[in-house]
Amino acid sequence: MENYEPEIVAFCCHYCAYTAADMAGSKRISYPANVKIIRVPCTGKVDAIHIMKALEKGADGVYVAGCLEGDCHFKTGNARARLRVARVQKILEDLGWEKERVAMINMSAGMGERFAKTAFEFTEKIKSLGPNPISQGKIEVQAVS
Amino acid sequence: MQKLNKKDDKQSGSERVLVIGGGVGGIRAALDLAESRRDVLLIDKSYSIGGLMTQLDRTFPTNNCDLCTVSPFLSASGRERYLDIKPMTRIEELTGQAGNFTATLVTEPRYIDIDKCTGCGECVQKFPEAVRFTPGLDPRAPTCMRYPQATPYAFSIDMAKVEDISQIQKVCKADAILSHDEVQKTRIKVGSVVLSVGAELFDPSVLDNYGGGQCQNIVTGLEYERIMSASGPFQGSLVRVSDNKQPKKIAWIQCVGSRGINEADVPYCSGVCCMYALKEAMVTKERFEEDIETTIFYMDMRTHGKDYERYFNRAKDEYKVRMIRSRPHSIIENSSTKDLSITYALEEEAVQKTEDFDMVVLSTGFRAGKDATDLASKLGIDLNEHNFAKTDHFNSVKTSRPGVYVCGVYESPKDIPETMVQASAAALMASANLPVICADEKIEDFFPRERDVTGQEVKLGVFVCDCGIDIGGVVDVGKLIDYVKTNSDVAVAKAVGHGCSAESMAQIESLILEHGVNRVVIGGCSPRTHESKFQDLLRRVGLNRYLVEIVNLRDQNTWAHRGQPRQAQEKACKLLQIGISGVRKNRPLMENTLPMSQNALVIGGGVTGMTSALKLADQGILTYIIERAPALGGLARSIRKTIEGEDVGAFVARLVEKVMAHENIHVMTRSIVVDHSGMPGLFKTGIQTGLRMNYMSIDHGVTILATGALANRPGEYGLGTLDGVVTQLELDFMLEDDTEKIAAMDQVVMIQCVGSREENNPNCSRICCQAAMKNALRIKQINPETQVFVLYRDIRTYGFQEDYYREARNLGVKFVRYSLNTKPLVTQEDGRFYVRVYDFILGQKIEIEADCLALSTGLVADDETTEDLAMMFHLPRTLDHYFLEEHVKLRPVDMAVRGVFIAGTIHSPKTIRESVTQALAAAGRAQTLLAKKEINLGAAVVRVDKDKCASCLVCVRACPFDIPFINADGYSQIDPDKCQGCGVCAADCPAKAIQLLTYEDDQILAKLDGLFERVN
Repeated sequence: MENYEPEIVAFCCHYCAYTAADMAGSKRISYPANVKIIRVPCTGKVDAIHIMKALEKGADGVYVAGCLEGDCHFKTGNARARLRVARVQKILEDLGWEKERVAMINMSAGMGERFAKTAFEFTEKIKSLGPNPISQGKIEVQAVS
Repeated sequence: MQKLNKKDDKQSGSERVLVIGGGVGGIRAALDLAESRRDVLLIDKSYSIGGLMTQLDRTFPTNNCDLCTVSPFLSASGRERYLDIKPMTRIEELTGQAGNFTATLVTEPRYIDIDKCTGCGECVQKFPEAVRFTPGLDPRAPTCMRYPQATPYAFSIDMAKVEDISQIQKVCKADAILSHDEVQKTRIKVGSVVLSVGAELFDPSVLDNYGGGQCQNIVTGLEYERIMSASGPFQGSLVRVSDNKQPKKIAWIQCVGSRGINEADVPYCSGVCCMYALKEAMVTKERFEEDIETTIFYMDMRTHGKDYERYFNRAKDEYKVRMIRSRPHSIIENSSTKDLSITYALEEEAVQKTEDFDMVVLSTGFRAGKDATDLASKLGIDLNEHNFAKTDHFNSVKTSRPGVYVCGVYESPKDIPETMVQASAAALMASANLPVICADEKIEDFFPRERDVTGQEVKLGVFVCDCGIDIGGVVDVGKLIDYVKTNSDVAVAKAVGHGCSAESMAQIESLILEHGVNRVVIGGCSPRTHESKFQDLLRRVGLNRYLVEIVNLRDQNTWAHRGQPRQAQEKACKLLQIGISGVRKNRPLMENTLPMSQNALVIGGGVTGMTSALKLADQGILTYIIERAPALGGLARSIRKTIEGEDVGAFVARLVEKVMAHENIHVMTRSIVVDHSGMPGLFKTGIQTGLRMNYMSIDHGVTILATGALANRPGEYGLGTLDGVVTQLELDFMLEDDTEKIAAMDQVVMIQCVGSREENNPNCSRICCQAAMKNALRIKQINPETQVFVLYRDIRTYGFQEDYYREARNLGVKFVRYSLNTKPLVTQEDGRFYVRVYDFILGQKIEIEADCLALSTGLVADDETTEDLAMMFHLPRTLDHYFLEEHVKLRPVDMAVRGVFIAGTIHSPKTIRESVTQALAAAGRAQTLLAKKEINLGAAVVRVDKDKCASCLVCVRACPFDIPFINADGYSQIDPDKCQGCGVCAADCPAKAIQLLTYEDDQILAKLDGLFERVN
């Protein structure tokens, strides 16, 4: 497990987290390349299905990154995202997975450093949890329509 | 590239604006004018536009290569309809008057037919001998293009360097080379003129003590930029010219040729060199090796711009750039190693030191050259004593000749953001009396009809940029292409260099057409900056703009993982696959438009707000001013005189009078904003107004925020507790109203940086050094015998303010430096102040007795107000609670929310004159938006599948904007004109009856498929 490199999906909102990721790049702040960003207009757009599908397809961790609480470009989208992430965490627990495999993170557009730091911390956490149980072959995926 | 047809009704002409100079300032001004639908002609004496900025490697404070941010604005798009560019052209004469000038233009022969030239570069390959373009280090060819994104995209030939033109003609496959070409003289009518011709850079080869131009390893700041630049002579490797080896130890010397009294020097400060030296030192460390030692020799560190002090602190603390406060005496070259010895003295030590460096960079500044004086006399405008354009005290873009405006360095030394502000301001002033043209035409009409791709098999075109070395230097682009081609539906995949350059764009266009591509993936920089450019590309080849996906290979990959090329390569493949899998699901979409409100809302009734409002109202725009205080005027009412000696009170009174009398301005004092909704072009803002706080709602298309900053009053040095401790603002009043008291004073002590440049307020307040000079000079005027001591950390009298600093020293004002560790101590006994401070030069503590202690306390952001506004308008702020503009370099008054602009001290501390300039710029930018008349809502709105909808009301409750409702037919209706496109309802809908276009579920899931199922 020493060279284990987890695959991590970050759903980032266009207005804050995605911009923060660009900002980290423009400041040349390094973070683990394990993190792959999928851009969404608002974290409120991220459906529980998207997170679950990502895990089912093989993601070892998924996080949703949006604007700071109270600063959502769409008023309350990030607050709804937080609730949804909590719901997914509950489902994971019920399935016997570590709920830490999904997380909700908030940052403003200017926080390139924070983007890098959270990417780093999340990757470390997933590394400590090890691969997702599906890719370890512990669980067989039932056909999900 | 397709050239848009232009109506040839220019003979009437006087409605046109002539912009002279195609650097960033001239380009911004021309684009602003074109966007506000004024007819513009941009001329430049060079063969392509771009100016100085295109020669820079990176720009502060973001350390980005901003060429790629500028260049997209330059090339073809709908706005060309109003904008003509004539390179290699200069002005010979300007007759007539404002509104009806006749300009005589002279165009030099290019010997190349621009319309035929494809910019293939074949001629350069075969004839690279001669040199046409400097600065210095650039190996050049007789046919010459300055940078890969050049506009117009064509070469030019230096006939003086050509022996036989027919030989060059033979290699040109496009048959574009002309053996005969002539100087053309044309006469055109114009209504107004914008000057943005910049300045020259000081040539330090006249300085014998700094090598006299004979040492290969002594370069200027600009030459150093060229060495590091990916499009420079060494393709972006940092090497010494003498031996092509990477230097280990580099020194920068500041103020070379500036702030001096020797023969070759100019007395003023060039304003930008401290920042560019810091930038070059930091970029050196971050791009090359951390262990390269970088040292900056400086006199005063002038980082007075927005957030620049933080940048300085980063350079010192994080990048370990070594700072030595000294003006070196000489540089001696070692004749065998070509290393350089710098001799210098420290102020605290009497002995001279000598230290060896591998390379020395001379930070040279701006000079008004002979061209500048010639141009001024041709145009009949006045210059100041430094030969820069003389402008109005309260309007920095207005020259002495009505109808002729100026921006950028031709007015005074300044950096790019300040140039951009002046450019927008000059564009506004120049457009003031000119009619809007073709108001009813739509840009859309100029694109070819869209090809219908529904039902077609997916045929992908994948194009990957190397972005110079920014992508290609970290990952192997060729291998990425090989990887991409393993997708069976990829019809064409190709590496395209700088994808945003005209050459690559043209190549992509023809490949799309040739291969019948119907979905496009661009691997390059962030879609945030370049998506619309590539969307326009698709429209030019008849594809719907939503059939492209931009894959962020640079900002989110090669920039972030440049230290791990293997991981970056693997991630690049995965990111490309995400894009490929996603774009297969993209569908052509229609955009919705709505008519825009033509009203403007200005929040804040100070000098800035009033200036913006007047300019908009003059254009016939109904403008509301909301002011919290009972009267207009703002902070300017607590200032009596400017440093130039102008009466601020009278100026403010004139403004207030004009505003109150203007038929298009509604002033609401004692009013506050309480709510805000809507979208750019259709905002709705609720205010409470008057003593009774009545509620009212205002519809407006644009918003200008100008609520200013607060005068800082930290409780230091006895301010607020000891009698006789005043701020510079209070001293300013005493100097007008209580001259007898001033005259009776023996000694006055001023302390700079009080409450600024410290841990809890790290930035510089910018205005305090000039305020101290202003007040010190006035004290000396009232009583030349009064001794004035200024205790300072760095004197930051940037630009021509340096003249006042010099004058103060000449009049005997004493300047004593202190540092954060040796802050002065103030005590008071019997009404007298005793200030104890360590004097570095004497090497001991001194005590100064004073009648009055004046503190330079500067400005702080109005945290409470900006926080409220930031919440209501959804706008970002800086760490110091000022507003954060959309792009700190290139869009200094635009906010991330379109239609919202900032001006004045809400942006950062600045003088009245600078605030007025920004107010004009904000009004100008607002005008460009209003000129569009309608808003494009984009296509990212939700669509409801009524057959799936169970009318469960989840969407009605989920929507943050209360848009959905259950209609008479029993399903959820979501008005696309009102939908904001967040997708919250789509995510919550249990029946999945709602889809957010451009982010549909199958698109997101396809992206996940791309990430996990394809790549191994």
